[in-house]
Amino acid sequence: MSDSHDPRTGEPIPEMCTDPKSAENAPRPPARQALMTISKATYFKEAALKNLFLVCACVAVAGVALIFLFVGLEGWPIFAKVGVFNFLGGLKWYPTKQFFGILTLIVNSMLAMIGALAIGGPLAVGTAVFLSEVASPRMREIVRPAVELLAGIPSVVYGFFGLVMLRPIVAHLFGGLGFGLFTVWMILAVMIVPTIATLTEDALRSVPDGIREASYAMGATKWQTIWRVLLPAAKIGIIDAIILGMGRAIGETMAVVMVAGNARVIPDGIFKPFLTLTTVIVLDMPYAAGDHRTALFGVAIVLFIISMIFVAAIRVISRFGKGMS
Amino acid sequence: MRLSRSAALVAVAVTLVLAGCGRSASGSQTSLTVTGSTTVMPIAEVAATEFEAANPGKRVLVSGIGSSAGIEAVTKGTCDIGTSSRDLKPEEKSLGLVDIKIALDAIAVIVNPSNPVTGLTKAQVSDIFQGKIKNWKEVGGPDLEIGLVNRDEASGTREAFSKFVLGTADFDPAAAVLPGTGQVRSVVAQASGAIGYISLGFVDPSVKALAIDGIPANETTVGNGTYPLSRYLHFLTKGEPTGLAKAYIDFVLSPKIQESVVRDAGFLPVTEGGK
Amino acid sequence: MQTRERMNKRVTNAIALSVIWLAAIATVAALGTILVYVFVNGIGQITPSFIFTWPHGVNMEGGIWPTIQATIYVTGLSMLITTPIAVLAAVYLAEYAVQGRLVSTIRFAADSLASVPSIVMGLFGLAAFVEGMGMRLSVLAAALALSFLLLPIIVRTTEESIRAVPKYIRWGSYGLGASKWQTVSRIVLPSAMPRITTGVILAAGRAMGETAVVIYTMGTMINAPVSPLDPGRTMPVHLMLMAQEGINMPGAYGTALLLVLMVLGFNLTARYIGRRNRRMQG
Repeated sequence: MSDSHDPRTGEPIPEMCTDPKSAENAPRPPARQALMTISKATYFKEAALKNLFLVCACVAVAGVALIFLFVGLEGWPIFAKVGVFNFLGGLKWYPTKQFFGILTLIVNSMLAMIGALAIGGPLAVGTAVFLSEVASPRMREIVRPAVELLAGIPSVVYGFFGLVMLRPIVAHLFGGLGFGLFTVWMILAVMIVPTIATLTEDALRSVPDGIREASYAMGATKWQTIWRVLLPAAKIGIIDAIILGMGRAIGETMAVVMVAGNARVIPDGIFKPFLTLTTVIVLDMPYAAGDHRTALFGVAIVLFIISMIFVAAIRVISRFGKGMS
Repeated sequence: MRLSRSAALVAVAVTLVLAGCGRSASGSQTSLTVTGSTTVMPIAEVAATEFEAANPGKRVLVSGIGSSAGIEAVTKGTCDIGTSSRDLKPEEKSLGLVDIKIALDAIAVIVNPSNPVTGLTKAQVSDIFQGKIKNWKEVGGPDLEIGLVNRDEASGTREAFSKFVLGTADFDPAAAVLPGTGQVRSVVAQASGAIGYISLGFVDPSVKALAIDGIPANETTVGNGTYPLSRYLHFLTKGEPTGLAKAYIDFVLSPKIQESVVRDAGFLPVTEGGK
Repeated sequence: MQTRERMNKRVTNAIALSVIWLAAIATVAALGTILVYVFVNGIGQITPSFIFTWPHGVNMEGGIWPTIQATIYVTGLSMLITTPIAVLAAVYLAEYAVQGRLVSTIRFAADSLASVPSIVMGLFGLAAFVEGMGMRLSVLAAALALSFLLLPIIVRTTEESIRAVPKYIRWGSYGLGASKWQTVSRIVLPSAMPRITTGVILAAGRAMGETAVVIYTMGTMINAPVSPLDPGRTMPVHLMLMAQEGINMPGAYGTALLLVLMVLGFNLTARYIGRRNRRMQG
């Protein structure tokens, strides 16, 4: 995973020296020498500061633990009551009648994510290839800020746009109400483009120029170079980018709830309304009480675990990839 | 140098937090919280503004999430007045709440203006919303798929509609579920096969209200009780209202507000009801 | 034979490159469509009275001033909470950390935090701060929940900024006998400050647009919060509610446009600072 972008949205962190080792290579005074050259007070002060910083760094770990703790505490009763298999595997989500199965929701979330990826993935990789290999510096000045701005637009604005502009168009062109997988795919695809594109671009840029030059020297066209040399070379980074895009797509709430139509069934067409893991929470929370509310926290736990699985997958793939190359 | 700057920031933050701890909670005699049905919210809010203008120094904070949430809030004491667009359920009647009717409303079944159908029987409406009838041609309309639009479960309008039309049957789970009146209205206005239900007060020329069992939906039929889908809007308090709450409720029930604010919001004064 | 191969690969090349161009154009077009649509529909709403008056009436007509206040308040407070912790954490990771289990765990945790769906963070805030710690719906609860969301972002950008400071500057400092903390606090951090600031501003832009986290921790009541324990409604929440109600659409467009302008303003400012810094450093 590249270091210079927010892994969640793809928002760029401004270009900096990407050599990750500069600090670690800086020579440090050997420990014994340090003891001889500095006073005891300074030594303790340094150690105290180092521990303070360590504590700050561990806030991240504390955060993850706390999320598990609090959301888990609120949510585990539903697993106890209904059973993990019934909860995860039940097709009926009818809280008012004590049916707490979220399989429909899981399937719907997956459908939304896969479609968004199918559309947004190629779009993003294409844009990244454009930025890295094809664009003139002037074009780059236009397209890259566009990608960054796209990353900055709040998801509620995406949802609003989908609701007021996209939905009526879909309804007009394809009949029906305009809610459904098709509309969600359109919106989600645009939302994950910045995430995937910026990381893919980084991955492409870190392929050494020598490889490109060698390919051109052998008479390959630009496209042949991209397709057969560069993309495979950047494969790990691109896979990372795609997994991050998947994580973003499946975790998105506000944009989806305004265009999905929120019907608690697996849709029988791409223009039929459907409900996902994220939208069920935002829809039911205002009035959910008792077991219903607990069940929603249970859904939150499932979402959290899914997102952590994606993060772990990226780590495993990166490590595997580094081992290979 | 950096440490003292960070310390200053921390000091500012701590001061802010401590300053906040000294405040007293709302709900005292100078402010009132009213929460619950989004259908009732328009009346409550505009009345609140006029009430505050007439009683300087008093604040009435109105919000709306759903009738059930309002009932729960007033029972738990997290608000002073709960509002509801449905009657209390049997299990809610023993919560010690005082039920004050403040307006009369009707639910209109709306379709797209291009739809030639002008009326349906209650049984047909029930079958449509259960998903048993799926095409307009089955009820005398064009060969067009019915686009079913439902409200979210927090909605008092949905509760009332369900009670009037479906009885114990369930809504079609494949229906689109929209969380607001305006959304239902704009979706029905734009999709030719759509059907939905909203408060009569929100019907405007962009949609068409159907006659139910032959009775058109308008103020006269609602007033004289012939229109089958009508209901009261409620204010609920825990125990008899006193002090600021009573003043506000009396204000809302006053003829001046009933004839202006309630009518402006599309409802009928509570005195019109024959039920 | 060779000529045909050469023709084929040129044709494929031309087609492929056009597809790539199309992808880039589509991306820019998507951005343009959204911005233009929001702008055109919302610009009529942006008047001084819209910005500075309170909403009133049935459908939140009037202005959105309290939502602007609430947005700025919660964004500012969350940045105040996160930035010191995140910067110090980044200092640890960049300067003191040794590759090992602990650092690996910290990085995994930071990545996980960065990937948490915001609605899960919202429920966390509800369970932990609003109810668990008894803060009720308040700016403070929302700011704390947002802080967890922003922490990994600022840690990442700060760490990169610190690593970007050239080695020889540190060598010079150690060579003069400075301790580690002296080097970091007086040399490295000030040098990295512009880039750190850029990262902080970008994170603030992200915080401003958050809806799911804020709605469960700060509530939906129209209120101009004074103390951190007051509830309030931020602009993104206001936009969502108005869009869902669907009755006051002009107000919704106005809110959307104002929100987009504010967020883009932050983004562009951050880029400007970043670019100016890069230009100065040559």
